[in-house]
Amino acid sequence: MAGRADSDPAAPTTPLLDPEFLQKLETLGLVSRKRIRGEQRGDRRSVSRGRGVEFSDHRAYQLGDDYRYIDWNVVSRLDRLFVKMFSEEEDLDVSFVLDTSRSMAAGSPSKLMLAKRLAAAIGYIGLVNLDRVGVTACSADAGPRLDRLRGRARVFDLLRFLDGLEPAGETDLLLAMRRHFAGVRRRGLLIVLSDLFDPRGYERALLLARYHRVQTFLIHILADEELTPAVAGDLRLVDVETGRAVEVTVDAEALRAYAQARDAYLSGVERFCLRHGIDYLRTSTSVPVEALVLRWLRQGGLVG
Amino acid sequence: VTFAVPAALWGLLAIPCLILLYLLRVRRRDHPVSTILLWQRSAPTLAASRPSRRIERSVLLLLQILATVALVTALARPSIVERGAGGGDVLLVLDLSLSMRARDVAPTRFDRARDEAMEIVAHLRPGQRAGLITAGPRPLVRVTPTEDRDRLVAALRELQPWDASGDVAGAVRLAAAHPLGPGGRIVAWTDGARGPLPALPRVAYRILGSSDDNVGITAFRALRDPRGAEALVRVENFGTRSRRVPLEVTHDGATTYRAVLDLPPGASRTVVFPITAAGRFTARLAVHDILPDDDSATAILDPAPLPSVLVVGPGDPYLENVLRALPVVRAAATRAVDPTTWRSYGVVILDRVDPGPIPPGDYLLIRTVPPNLPVAAAGDVRTPDIASWDRTDPVLQFVDLRGVRILRALQLVPEGGRVLVGGTVPLLWAYEGEGVRALLLPFALQDSDLPMHVAFPLLVANGLGWLGGGALDVRAGETLQIPAGGGTRARVIDPEGHSQLVPATAGMFLLPPFQRAGVYRLTSASGERQIVARIGDPRAGMVRPGPADRAVPSAPGTGDAGPLVTRASLWPWFLLAALGIIMGEWVLATRREGDR
Repeated sequence: MAGRADSDPAAPTTPLLDPEFLQKLETLGLVSRKRIRGEQRGDRRSVSRGRGVEFSDHRAYQLGDDYRYIDWNVVSRLDRLFVKMFSEEEDLDVSFVLDTSRSMAAGSPSKLMLAKRLAAAIGYIGLVNLDRVGVTACSADAGPRLDRLRGRARVFDLLRFLDGLEPAGETDLLLAMRRHFAGVRRRGLLIVLSDLFDPRGYERALLLARYHRVQTFLIHILADEELTPAVAGDLRLVDVETGRAVEVTVDAEALRAYAQARDAYLSGVERFCLRHGIDYLRTSTSVPVEALVLRWLRQGGLVG
Repeated sequence: VTFAVPAALWGLLAIPCLILLYLLRVRRRDHPVSTILLWQRSAPTLAASRPSRRIERSVLLLLQILATVALVTALARPSIVERGAGGGDVLLVLDLSLSMRARDVAPTRFDRARDEAMEIVAHLRPGQRAGLITAGPRPLVRVTPTEDRDRLVAALRELQPWDASGDVAGAVRLAAAHPLGPGGRIVAWTDGARGPLPALPRVAYRILGSSDDNVGITAFRALRDPRGAEALVRVENFGTRSRRVPLEVTHDGATTYRAVLDLPPGASRTVVFPITAAGRFTARLAVHDILPDDDSATAILDPAPLPSVLVVGPGDPYLENVLRALPVVRAAATRAVDPTTWRSYGVVILDRVDPGPIPPGDYLLIRTVPPNLPVAAAGDVRTPDIASWDRTDPVLQFVDLRGVRILRALQLVPEGGRVLVGGTVPLLWAYEGEGVRALLLPFALQDSDLPMHVAFPLLVANGLGWLGGGALDVRAGETLQIPAGGGTRARVIDPEGHSQLVPATAGMFLLPPFQRAGVYRLTSASGERQIVARIGDPRAGMVRPGPADRAVPSAPGTGDAGPLVTRASLWPWFLLAALGIIMGEWVLATRREGDR
C-alpha cells in the first residue's frame, strides 16, 4: 500500500505512514460499540438482517422470498418452508474532527503531525474495511473538509488531504463540530483529535456530539513541553493563538503549581468524558503513532 | 566597627533605587506557548509574577545588593577597633584642665576619661606596665610605668581637675620622652580645647566633649584706690551662640550689683562698680551651661589690709604720722634692736639702725643695709635724681615721684632683687628670698622732700601691703611663698574646710599649688590671712573640643566605652568582597544569557 503510495506521483512527498505500519493496519478494523445502520453493504455487521454471510436465524417462507435462502435441510425434516436469515454487513461512517489550530504546531513531532498520522492510520483502517471516512479540519477559520470517502482506492485522497493541513487560526471546537454535524446525517463513529486548548472550552463541543448520538472517541494530544514545561526565569508567555500574554517568573515552585493546574485540568477532561460516555485517550507527541494504534487504540477498543 | 567616613553610608540609599530599577527594567523575554490556559489557572503561578516574588527569587539582584552594600561600606572606610592596651608599655596622660569638668559628657569629661583609663588598666596583660602622667598647670609624672594595677587605680582615683588650664602638650612631650619598649604607646585623654596637640609617634589622643556652651567669670577683683573701693567683674562667652546672662554680686547675702549682660559669641564684657563695704563678695551668673564651675567667683576687700607694724629706730614724725593714718592692724615703735620681739609683727621697719643679719620676715629698710641681703652700700651719693620707676609694680601703684628731691642717699650695689625706682643710683630696691621680703629705701626721710609729696603715704601703704598686707590674690595652680615671720608652721584651710599643715622652711611657708578657686585661710603665729585663689587663666573656660585628628575613636555600640588602642582597616576587604560579588554576578548573568 505504502509502496503504491510512494510510486504514485500524486502521493504526498512526506509519507504520513510507513509501509510496514500500513501492512499491520491491513489486519485491523474499526470497532463500533453501537450497532449502526449503514447505507451500503460493508464489512460490518448491521442491525439489519439480510444478505450477509453470517447466519443469524430462520423464519417461515413468505411470498416473494428469494428461493436461494430456503433451507432445504429444514424443509426435508419439517416439511415446511423456512428461509435462512443472515446478518447484514454494512459500512461504518467514520468521521474525524481534527484540530488544526496554531497550538497544534507545538511538540516534536508536532501535535498536528501526530494527529494527521493517527487520522491517516485510522482512516486507512476504515477505508480498507469499506467504511466511509470523512475529515473536518477544526479551526476558527473554517478549515477544509473532506467528504466521506469509501474504498481502499480513496486512501490517497485521504492522505493528500491530511498532508495539506497546516496549523493556523484559533481553536474553536464548537464551530468545527457544528460544521461537521451540518454535513453528516448518519450516526457513526466520530474521532476527535485535539489538544482541547480552546479558550471557549471543550465541553459544549463534545456535548454536541452526544446530542447527535454518535459514538465519540476523543484523542487528546499534548506536547511534552505542555506536560512538563522546560522553561525558567522571567518570561512573558505568549499564547500563539490569541496573542495574549502572561508574565511569570518560572521557578521550581511555579512549575509545581503548573503541574497541579495541569493535573486538575486533565482530570476534569477525563471525568467529563467518563460522565458523558465519550471514549478518551490522552497521548503525547513522544509516543510513536504505531504504538498508539497497535497498542493503545486496540486497548481502548477503537480498533480490533 | 567604626567608620572614618560615615557620610558615605548614605550610599546605601542606592539599594532601593536598585530594586526600583530592577522592577522597572523590562527583562522578561517572550516565550511562545500553545496556550496560557494552564498558567492562568495556576494561582500560585500568578503569584509568582508578583514583583516581590521576583525580588525574592532573583539571585542576581541579591548579588547586586550585596555588592552595593560592600562597596558603600568600603567607601565609608570601616575599621575595627580592639579594646585594650596593645602589647607594650602604656603611658596614660590625663588632662586636668578646668574644661575637663564640663558636663557635656556624662558625668563629666574628666570622669569619663578616668573611667576609660581605669578600663585600660583593667585590661593590661600580665607583665604589661602602665604609667600615669597628669596634665595639670605643670605636667607631673604621677606613677612611673608599673605592673601594679592597684597603685595605678589608686592614683587615678585621687585625681581631680584644676581650676586652671592643663599643659597637655607638655604632659604628652614628657610622656614621649619616657623610654617606651617595643609596642609601647601613649594614650592621652583631653578635650583639646586650648590649642593644637603635638603629633608625636605612638601618641593617641582621646578627644572628649561635644559642646562649647560655656559662659564664665574670668576675673573678679575688689580693689581699693585713693578714691575708695570698687569691684571689677569680667564675663566671657566661650560658646558660638549669643547669650544674655544675668550677673549678680552679693555681699553677706545682700545684692550689691545686678546686671544683665549681652554676650555675642566669643565676646567678653567687663563691669566695674563701686563698693562701700569690706569683706567677701560673691559674683554669680544665672546661666545654664556645661561648665558651672566658672559661673561664680569670690573677691575680698580686707577691712584691715595692712599688717601690724613695728618701727625700730630713732623715730621719724613723718613715718609715725603716716602709720597713724593708714589702716594697719597695730603699730608700735622702739629704739631697741631685738629681733626676738619682731615675730609678733607683720612688718618691721628698720629706720637708720644697724640690725646685723636679719631673721626671716617682712622688712621696710630705711637707709639700712643688713649684711645678709644681696645688696651692699658703697658710700653715699649726693642729690641723686629719680629717673624712672616701675608704675606697674604694686608697690608703686598710684605713686607719682616726679619732683621728689633727695639730698643724700646710700649708693646701693644690688646683687639680686629688683630696682623699683632708678636714677643715678637705685633709690628703691625690693627683694624676696630666704624667708625675707624687704623693701629698701636708701635715703632717710628727712634727707628728702618725699614726705611732703602725696606719693609718700601711697608708697608706704603699697609697700606695707606688698610686704604683709591683707588678702592675697593668687591664681589656681600657682604656688605661694609667705614669710613665716618667725613662725614654725601654718595651717591652710581650703574653701571646702579641709586643712593642711604647712611647716616653715628657711623662714618661709611654701604653700602647695591651689587646685580649686576660692578663698583659703592661712593661720599662723602672726595671725590669719585670707588667700583668694582665682581661676588660673582666662582661657581655662574654653571648652570647645579640639579636632579629632589622630584621635582614638570610641567604639560604637559599646556606649562610647573608651579608647580602643588598636585599629585595623576593613575597607580593603569590603572592596575585595564587592569586586568578587560583582564578578560572580557578571559570570552568572553571562551564563544565563548563554543558556538562553
